Amino acid sequence: MKSKLLMIIKIGWLSIWRNKRRTLISLFSILIGTGIPTFFVCIAWGFYAGLVDDVARLMAGHVTYEHVNYRNSPSNDLWVDDIQVINKSLNNNDEVLLTKQIVNLQGVAHTAKGSVGISLMGIEPSKEITISYLPESIVEGEYLSEGDGRWVIVGSKLAESLNVNVGKKFVFTTNDIKGELIEELFRVKGIFKTGSKEIDGHFVQSDIDIARMVAGLSSNDVSQLGIIVKNPDTHERFLQEMQKTLAKKNGVFLSWQQIMPDVATTIRMDRTAISSIMVLLVVIVLFTMFSTILMSTLERRREFASLLAIGTQPIELKLQIFIETILFGLIACPLGSLLGVGIAKWTEGYDMMDVVGGKAEDMTVGGFGMDTIITPLFSIPLILQISIFFFLAVQLLSILPIYLISRISITDVLRST
Amino acid sequence: MNTKKEIVSLRNVIKNYGHGKVITKALQGIELNILEGDFSVMMGPSGSGKSTLLNIIGGLDKATSGEVNFNGKDFNTLSNKALSIIRRNHIGFVFQNYNLLPVLTAYENAEYVLMLQEIPISQRKEKVMHFFQEMGLEGLEHRFPRELSGGQQQRVAIARAVVSDPLLVLADEITANVDSETAQSLLELMETLNKNNKTTFLFSTHDPAVIKFAKKVIVLKDGKITNEQISSENIEKYTKR
Repeated sequence: MKSKLLMIIKIGWLSIWRNKRRTLISLFSILIGTGIPTFFVCIAWGFYAGLVDDVARLMAGHVTYEHVNYRNSPSNDLWVDDIQVINKSLNNNDEVLLTKQIVNLQGVAHTAKGSVGISLMGIEPSKEITISYLPESIVEGEYLSEGDGRWVIVGSKLAESLNVNVGKKFVFTTNDIKGELIEELFRVKGIFKTGSKEIDGHFVQSDIDIARMVAGLSSNDVSQLGIIVKNPDTHERFLQEMQKTLAKKNGVFLSWQQIMPDVATTIRMDRTAISSIMVLLVVIVLFTMFSTILMSTLERRREFASLLAIGTQPIELKLQIFIETILFGLIACPLGSLLGVGIAKWTEGYDMMDVVGGKAEDMTVGGFGMDTIITPLFSIPLILQISIFFFLAVQLLSILPIYLISRISITDVLRST
Repeated sequence: MNTKKEIVSLRNVIKNYGHGKVITKALQGIELNILEGDFSVMMGPSGSGKSTLLNIIGGLDKATSGEVNFNGKDFNTLSNKALSIIRRNHIGFVFQNYNLLPVLTAYENAEYVLMLQEIPISQRKEKVMHFFQEMGLEGLEHRFPRELSGGQQQRVAIARAVVSDPLLVLADEITANVDSETAQSLLELMETLNKNNKTTFLFSTHDPAVIKFAKKVIVLKDGKITNEQISSENIEKYTKR
């Protein structure tokens, strides 16, 4: 049985090399078919992963703990209390890289030039420096440090709108948690530029202590507790666990997809587009391969007929054809994956804007600027998934020749030549 | 008294092709016995039904009616799979165009049937080498069919047909694609196999040279076996393609 199977595999292997040129064209088409989506997926998924991580670190983490009603109406009077217990517990969790306490205040910034609606985010500067890309985006002045009080950093477009520079001041009008109107003077310590119109035009960061003071919150209260996890891929499971074990009655743990639905939707749409391209490539590859397999089967009708005549079982011939397509897939799909990974690796570190042209500012997803430096993500399960998908698609091609073999009339074929 | 074992027995075998009003009567009431050790030759003009008869005896085609017995088994009642197993184990085929697998060497082509029969490797080697020696194919084991002459390819095809010691070898126009000298040597070879190994052969041919080797000549005409004797006067009629 073993030697028979080996013989069938051998015949299958040798048969695919009868017409080397045709075989090479087919292998090339599978290779390209597997390689292109692998390349795109490595690049795109790398962008998404980078974007999600950047945004999560800048905003409220991969997982966020906040008031149950805050998502529907992110107003200043919706906060979560007794946060230090939860914070301590989270910081003892092995899956957590760190947590960030956030006080968000929605309000209006005024100067003599005019008024602009802003979102002021009170953060812990010492932590922010280690996790967020905002400190690196400072183009004028300095980033915040602990105990900065009324010093804030503002976006470049906001600075322009308010006509403020480093050292200049503006008035921030908001409501405290009791609904009282509060006015507070802030002074610009630094100006940042991220490339995002939303962030650069309407975002201000301050030390959390001053934000708490303005809002009327205690040191045990926050608007949000952002959680940066070590492995963002497993954040959903982590979220479920935390919801069960840590959430209080008025608090809820939410994923970054729930916190930033625009980003999540854009990524989902983009992934769908790439999947569609992949399906299109499969169709093209299958068409190319189809003619090869069909020709190769029709050419060998006489051979098949004589093999059937001398006692080869139809199932053994069908197995041979199936093995031929398996061999096609086994050769080309891994090579295609390697090709895709290789090209993606080669492009690592290049600025995408140099390739596609345009301005980095235009590259925004859900209002957040994207890092245009190519940083591919080499996810082995994902790469294997593409390779296996193409491998299985190629196997579909054996259906026709197998059908043709089952229709062979030995006497007709042998008589015909 | 004839004590030879009956390998093939045909009783009133009819084979019709086509449907409705357009029916071609390929075989009309064939009665035939092939005995163990026979070296029989079927002759007849083109369209006389030789190939059809050979196909029915070989289990490649089924008779429209009549009884086809092979080694005690009624072919009409067997499934295609069962017929395929009988062909694998008991019938050898030699074709006009050799029909060797081009991707296998001469040795592997001959070994192929033994492999289908799941014979152990040591026995396979012994058998194949024995026949290669007997057929003057020594030294050609590793050559591919394209590297062999027509005569050599046909020898390999014969080796493939006889290597599993079949009860019957069916040879269809095996001398048609080789020169007369090669044809002569192939026939001598098969005659030797018949004598030494008691291999039973049934030929279908247009080649008058084959008749010289025949122990029994079956003459087919219009789908029927005739009692006509082949002579120098009428041989042209049976050898015309």
